[in-house]
Amino acid sequence: MSDSEVQHDVTRMLQANEPGGAVSQELLPLVYKNLRELAASRMAREMEGQTLQPTALVHEAWLRLQSNSSPSVWRNRAHFFGAASEAMRRILIERARRKLRLKRGNRAEHVSIENVDVAQTEPDERILLIDDALTRLRAADSELARIVTLKFFGGLTNDEVAETMGVTERTIYNKWAFAKAWLLKNIREERNLES
Amino acid sequence: MSGGTDKEQLLFAAALPIADPGEREMFLKMACVDDSGLHMRIAEMLVEHNQSERFFSECVSSIAIDDVDVSEVPELKNEKNIAGEMAGMRIGRYRLLRQLGEGGCGAVYLAEQEEPVRRRVAFKVIKLGMDTRNVIARFDAERQALAMMDHPNIAKVLDGGATESGRPYFVLELVQGVKITSYCDNEKLTAPQRLKLFIQVCQAIQHAHQKGVIHRDIKSSNILVATHDGAPVPKVIDFGIAKAIEGRLMGDTNFTVQGQVVGTPAYMSPEQAEMSGLDVDTRSDIYSLGVLLYELLTGRTPFDQKELIQSGLDEMRRTLREKEPRRPSTMLTGLTHTDLAVTARHRQLEPPKLIRSLKGDLDWIVMKALEKERQRRYQTANALAMDVRRYLNNEPVSARPPSQFYRLQKLIQRNKIVCACGLVVVFILIIGLQVSTSFFLKERQARMEAERAHANEMLLQKKAKARETITEAGVLLSHGAKAEADALVDSIPVELLSPSRESSGVFRRLGKWNLFQRNWKQAANRYIVLLQVNQVDKTDRSDQSTADLLFAAPILIEAGDTTDYDRIRKAALTRLNTTTNPNAAEQLMKTSLLLPADDFILQQLEPLERIVAGTFKSHDPAVNDGGLLAAWRAFALSLLEYRRGNFTAAVDELEICSSYPGQSPACVASTHLLLSMALRQLGKLEQADTELKEGQSMVQDWFQKKLETGNDKTGRIQGWIMTPILQHEAESLANTSSWLRDGESESTNQ
Repeated sequence: MSDSEVQHDVTRMLQANEPGGAVSQELLPLVYKNLRELAASRMAREMEGQTLQPTALVHEAWLRLQSNSSPSVWRNRAHFFGAASEAMRRILIERARRKLRLKRGNRAEHVSIENVDVAQTEPDERILLIDDALTRLRAADSELARIVTLKFFGGLTNDEVAETMGVTERTIYNKWAFAKAWLLKNIREERNLES
Repeated sequence: MSGGTDKEQLLFAAALPIADPGEREMFLKMACVDDSGLHMRIAEMLVEHNQSERFFSECVSSIAIDDVDVSEVPELKNEKNIAGEMAGMRIGRYRLLRQLGEGGCGAVYLAEQEEPVRRRVAFKVIKLGMDTRNVIARFDAERQALAMMDHPNIAKVLDGGATESGRPYFVLELVQGVKITSYCDNEKLTAPQRLKLFIQVCQAIQHAHQKGVIHRDIKSSNILVATHDGAPVPKVIDFGIAKAIEGRLMGDTNFTVQGQVVGTPAYMSPEQAEMSGLDVDTRSDIYSLGVLLYELLTGRTPFDQKELIQSGLDEMRRTLREKEPRRPSTMLTGLTHTDLAVTARHRQLEPPKLIRSLKGDLDWIVMKALEKERQRRYQTANALAMDVRRYLNNEPVSARPPSQFYRLQKLIQRNKIVCACGLVVVFILIIGLQVSTSFFLKERQARMEAERAHANEMLLQKKAKARETITEAGVLLSHGAKAEADALVDSIPVELLSPSRESSGVFRRLGKWNLFQRNWKQAANRYIVLLQVNQVDKTDRSDQSTADLLFAAPILIEAGDTTDYDRIRKAALTRLNTTTNPNAAEQLMKTSLLLPADDFILQQLEPLERIVAGTFKSHDPAVNDGGLLAAWRAFALSLLEYRRGNFTAAVDELEICSSYPGQSPACVASTHLLLSMALRQLGKLEQADTELKEGQSMVQDWFQKKLETGNDKTGRIQGWIMTPILQHEAESLANTSSWLRDGESESTNQ
């Protein structure tokens, strides 16, 4: 897509955009692609102590997108961070799935007496569990879900989330604590249903 | 399940910071007076919250550290090795069915024995790296003793040997149960129920000791609890195995096997940690039983396993040998309120009650089992079990020297109800008064805090709104809708704007746009805001802030805002006069001297004068370009001399200024006007008039055209907008002096 096409598309999307910093689904691929490329180049570049730090990636993507495709693409920071966190979530989920496949391979189901407890699950599995629970949280309280996406997947600080949402840091602190407890409780309940 | 009503979230947030679990419970009771469901939900959430910290933070660290290529592949191979080699395999009389679990020193499989009897067993394969022959030899040596053991709470060791690939293995009675600590927590066993299980464990160990077998690796994961006819039955597993693979537990070089620690430092007795090896006797198991008891009561081991390992081998030995563990009740008191709440909940007790129940007898029993010197511990597992049983029967325990008071305490406990009733009445009266007062105070404080928080939140919301408006203006600007953007920012209250590059950019562009429209007043307004939101670092080495002043200063004067100009030039000088950038120094100097200046300003300019003058001595062509910039610098120095009243020096500097070939037209015009003023001050009126005319005509020519940014050839707009100000001053100086002259000539005429 050429720059002018991007411009045109974006103008159209901006017109269609809803207020309140909600993420436009159409804008998502733009950030997603950018984040993926960033992550890939990072990993290729830094073999030692490779890190995929969400915050760093999101900020870098923000700078890049801002300089590449004119500031008008993003109505505001909140808008961008929402999209970036959502994209980051997809990348991390994809990665966790891939890693688990790699690990488990074709080996028969993984049975271990000590692994029944949720607290004993490995991080990659946890990310998937959390994401499932997040989908359920979104249905119950979309604002809490948004905080989780920004904090957990986007890696933003309380400050940044507070600024983005126009509330105090304290509010974010409380809501994030509540959301975490809610998610863990929900994960446990789901597990109990299954077993 | 809903996302939690607002009320739920509010109460959760309010209860979270209450440290004392009793107080917290009280608060919830008060808050959810008619709604026990709500009460329960919040209490549950608070417990979850505590665990969620770890659950999420462990995830975050895995997100941050990507290990796809580096550490994962070898681990994968390793797993495949064991799984590939073992699963479905037949070893001797055993057929391995599937893996049950993996421990520090090997993997455990579910296996089927085919002869002489068909039964299922646990098959434990020791990881490579163990010295197979010695392991087997030691196992053989103990085989006889192991076979003698016959106790319902001991899982039998049935067989041992080596696989074809040379790995030692052990065959154990299959126990289908869970780790004792997990069982207790899952079933929420109370302390007395836990103690009863513990007594059974002690009896099993006593039996083994009588047969001459020391376990050497008693820990919670080696004691599994299965239920038989509804009653929990603990089974001690892995007897004799630690002995067989000994020497590998703590050897300096083989302390870890493939990154995993073998052995269990948290349960290790001081003499085991010493690694004298031979000197371990049954009392070492007593110590480990003490650790187990500690864990059953408090949910933690006396020394944290992770900390022990991380502290390094020597420090770990020192800790185990010398450091006095905290008493169980003290340990609990030191926990965070949420950890404590979880621990208490697992034992069906309120946290304060839990701590109180441990204080005294149980503290003493545990500490006696954990004595560093083994002759001071319980001498047999039976003695330990007896003391626990005495505690359960409210009889004096042997673990501490009896005193009068101690005996009285026991008496009261045995006749609890009678004694308690009298006291209760008195306490209820006192506590009732206290509680109501403290709640009144707390409620008032909470309300005030809430009001403050609300006000703060409103302000933040407004600020966020202001930021959004700025962004919107930026979008409009980039689409060329400048007038709309200009109108939009008018709606933002200036005090809500905080410094940011985004706002700076918007106001800078709007300021310039208004300037090009010759809306001086509006341009001035935009620049005032710009200077406010562009407070970059004081030690700024660039000339970005001063470049804004080049516009702001003349525009403010032109718009008639001389008070604002004076305020801004002083603020800029105070903030930026430490700059070392010659361009910044020159710009600051020029913009601060557009109108006559007081002593404070002249003084502040001295360091800048040195920097500007210094450039003429520099041999660096980037600094001393001998052209356009040099001319402006000479002009700035001249202006300074003029403001100081050194008119001759000012004229000299202007001559130097005019000698530079690349002088911009705006600089030429400025030179004419300043020269006119200096000459007039020196009384050279005719020359002064000529210079003034030259300047006037240049200024008039430029301002007749449409305003534009300009370039080095035509002069840039920021240079030109200074000239009307100089022109104005030069003209009024001419008028004043001609008026004075006329007055003088009139008086001579008379």
